[in-house]
Amino acid sequence: MTLEAARDLLRAWTQTAQTPEANRLDIVVTAGDLLAAVDALKTSRWGYLSAITGLDHGREMPSLEVLYHFCSDAAIVTLRVSAPRENPSVPSICHLIPCAVVFERELAEMFGITVVGIPDADRLFLPDDWDETVYPLRKDAKLE
Amino acid sequence: MAEKFTIPIGPQHPALKEPGHFEFMVDGEIITGASVRLGYVHRGIEKAAEGRNWTQDIYLLERICGICSHVHALAFCLGVEQLAGVSAPPRAQAIRVLIAELERIHSHFLWLGVAAHEAGFDTLFMYAWRDRETVMDALETFTGNRVNYSANLLGGVKCDVTPDIASQIYRAVDNLEERTRHYLNVITSDDSLAERTRGVGVMTPEQADQLGVMGPTARASGVMRDIRVVAPYAAYTDFPIQPVTETAGDLQARFIVRLSELFESYRLIRSILDHLPAGDLKTRMPRRVKAGETISRVEAPRGELFYFIRSNGTDMPDRVKVRTPTLCNLASVLTLVIGRQIADIPMILVGIDPCFSCNDRAVSLVDNKGERRWTWEALRQYGIDYYRRWR
Amino acid sequence: MNWASILKEITVWARTNSPWVIHFNSGSCNGCDIEILATLTPRFDLERLGVRLEGSPRHADILICTGAVTRQARDSLRLIYEQMPEPKFVIAVGSCALSGGVFQGCYNVIGSIDRVIPVDVYIPGCPPRPQAIVNGILTLLERLQERERIS
Repeated sequence: MTLEAARDLLRAWTQTAQTPEANRLDIVVTAGDLLAAVDALKTSRWGYLSAITGLDHGREMPSLEVLYHFCSDAAIVTLRVSAPRENPSVPSICHLIPCAVVFERELAEMFGITVVGIPDADRLFLPDDWDETVYPLRKDAKLE
Repeated sequence: MAEKFTIPIGPQHPALKEPGHFEFMVDGEIITGASVRLGYVHRGIEKAAEGRNWTQDIYLLERICGICSHVHALAFCLGVEQLAGVSAPPRAQAIRVLIAELERIHSHFLWLGVAAHEAGFDTLFMYAWRDRETVMDALETFTGNRVNYSANLLGGVKCDVTPDIASQIYRAVDNLEERTRHYLNVITSDDSLAERTRGVGVMTPEQADQLGVMGPTARASGVMRDIRVVAPYAAYTDFPIQPVTETAGDLQARFIVRLSELFESYRLIRSILDHLPAGDLKTRMPRRVKAGETISRVEAPRGELFYFIRSNGTDMPDRVKVRTPTLCNLASVLTLVIGRQIADIPMILVGIDPCFSCNDRAVSLVDNKGERRWTWEALRQYGIDYYRRWR
Repeated sequence: MNWASILKEITVWARTNSPWVIHFNSGSCNGCDIEILATLTPRFDLERLGVRLEGSPRHADILICTGAVTRQARDSLRLIYEQMPEPKFVIAVGSCALSGGVFQGCYNVIGSIDRVIPVDVYIPGCPPRPQAIVNGILTLLERLQERERIS
């Protein structure tokens, strides 16, 4: 399926849309619209969820960002959701896409983003005795 | 009566899989729930990548995995080249693909041996690993190392094909092609192997699609996910790969796909050697990479390898996100095992070709009588004995 | 004494004493582990030297260890070492096991094996070739033989 098809599917929830590379479409959606957008892609069978990336653009920025990458052949649609740095939170998409659980667990422990409704909140990569207040992939993380 | 098993992932046989554990809820023989904990090999690589320059990061990222080191470096270099607006010369791109396919061969032979061991066929394991030495030698002559070929540079490759090297590779491919035919025959005609693999761990195309599986595991269920085919990169545009799929979606199909697709690798390697583009091995890369974000996807032996790279215009990356195929395939196992029996766990796991290294960890069996301990070896033996009973 | 006769002596000793080796991966990428496994396959054939791979630390003489020691692995590493009966010996295989290798300074990585347990033989490489691994094990066996001769 094409990027054009994806653009149409997601029109209702698109805050902004960009094509940073010829095969990529980035759509900014609100956290509130994320589930609807994911459901639209899933119902139309537009590709598959390939990865979820957390981003910290730097201490000066008020928000973190979560990227949901969907791939259909060479085309990639990325849903971009902002999460305020002070209390970042996104809804879990696991009831739509069960395999997202491992991506969401990694996102939560690495960035300290609360994934609301996640079916398994256990750590994935970090040890049990890891300091709960330290999120390694945040730019201001205090690591020994 | 519900019980909980904690089982270490990976065969007990040394030198193979990364330690981690699955937790299974079981009711008698049947699995009712599953979860996974990884982390025993978590080294904080994504964080470290932000603190090193683009070139240093190649050396870091190619050591994420000792089995598919080349594709990691390849995905990274292609991504950075995309950001910089640079294209490696055709000869370099062809050499990258040549090494990637040689790596796929070594990886699939490695897996064949491991899978055979898991099913209790140690002779097959020994033969597969003996044959694997043929491709290891070719890689060593070509790149200077048996593991961690370190062939990629930003902008190209370090090593070139000479007539002697080409000649050794041709011979290796001829030899391995014959051996692959033999193993394919063994897989499909040996009764005891068939018993452990035919009809076991079946995934319908629908399930494979929904569960997000990748690579040979998906292709064994007829789901055509192969980045080399659907989104060709490097020299796969000039040297295309024909898709290889099966429809049965069982364990045996996963064996068949991995072996069958090697014939495509052999064909491709010969084709590249016959038509290797002339020219430079490398092109100039700026030290500071233009700000921007890119996504680079390549087909590792286990499936789609996904890199998201962000540059802030300096000589160090702002973010390198690495999503390995095993993470997706592992997640699928969590759903796939529900309703299946304990005896099938080892083979279902090995069927996804999990990229782990091995560790002898005790299994905790928690029931209302207290804690019992199992090892992976015991679980593996349990599977072997279970199927022997039915003969 | 030439190398061939030393090798012969050690081989005879090893066969009589049959050291049991246990392998542990403390967080390695697998590179060293697959080369260790290769030493057991027909081409390099460590087993002809009488070295036997064992599953339980309680029966092992030698611990062969890879990896840069992640936090999760550290306690298991210590536990395995403690469970081994005396006399016991440790071989650290690969750059990561020696110094943390390319992962030095990474969070969740302790660094070298010898920060956690004492090491007798170091085999450098990334990864070391199977021949280097066999050589390292032979070096240890030589040392063991020395110890026996003295006692």
